[in-house]
Amino acid sequence: MSKEKGIPPGWSYNPASWGQRMPIVIAAMVGFAIATYLALFQLKVIDTVWEPFFGNGSRKILTSETSQILPIPDGALGALGYLVDALAGIIGGTRRWRRMPWIVIAFGLAVGPLGFISVLLVVLQPVLYDAWCTLCLVTALISVVMIGPAMDEMLASLQYMKRVKDAKVSMWKAFWGYKEVQGRVI
Amino acid sequence: MWAQVINAILGIWLMASAAMLGYADAKTITDNEHILGPVIASFAIISWWEATRVVRLYNVPLGLWLLLAPWVLGFDNTAATVNSMVVGALVTGLSFVKGKIEDTYGGGWSAVWKSDTLHAREARKQPRVDLDK
Repeated sequence: MSKEKGIPPGWSYNPASWGQRMPIVIAAMVGFAIATYLALFQLKVIDTVWEPFFGNGSRKILTSETSQILPIPDGALGALGYLVDALAGIIGGTRRWRRMPWIVIAFGLAVGPLGFISVLLVVLQPVLYDAWCTLCLVTALISVVMIGPAMDEMLASLQYMKRVKDAKVSMWKAFWGYKEVQGRVI
Repeated sequence: MWAQVINAILGIWLMASAAMLGYADAKTITDNEHILGPVIASFAIISWWEATRVVRLYNVPLGLWLLLAPWVLGFDNTAATVNSMVVGALVTGLSFVKGKIEDTYGGGWSAVWKSDTLHAREARKQPRVDLDK
């Protein structure tokens, strides 16, 4: 069964299948598009920003001190984060949970902090600036929605690393997917 | 999963309730709701997926805090007090609803450090060859 489909042992499905990964990659691309749009406003390439509900809210948030705390605006950092997520989601085949654990674990770790920072920024909007920014809320929702479906694949890779450790095979080589350790642990 | 959908809606409701119930000027109350709301909604949404369903329990202390907050922070608005306590009670209760788990996950997160777990036993049954050849 798992020989054909790459299903991890003890699992009922393969978390690295394209059906599992594509929705996350698409979500990340949408997040990337919106964050790029917001960054263009912050970099003054475009001078208005779409805000259907909260009046002057988006402008207030996107030009706030928090958004300029780093040398590049937070929208640009967000766009970079979504791009990393999309790339880490798309690299590798359907057996990547054991052939390249590094990318799966990097993927899981990239999705986590992006979600955390998004939620933090959502909290700061009303607390510090008494304003809301619609598209910022949308991107935050996207990054939170991505966390759950990315974690199952990371779990499969971490379990694989545990089996590598128990089999006394080099965890370093297994993590980076060295050819010589491929197939020594299932 | 329905329980965590409701908790996500309750979290979003907390973000909006100050404006809806008319106590938007009470800074302590609204700050409390604006901090708790997004965090509760996030934990609830993450636990929509079976592999991360356990995250729903992170909302238990947050729900309990909403029950205590009117007294600890000294809310002076009845609508805010009732809102905080009703939402807190619902979030706490619904966080314990695990729902159906239909797939198997090799023994779950604890199987990453424990020995003799489902994935380890299943792997031993398979021949140790390169499966990709």
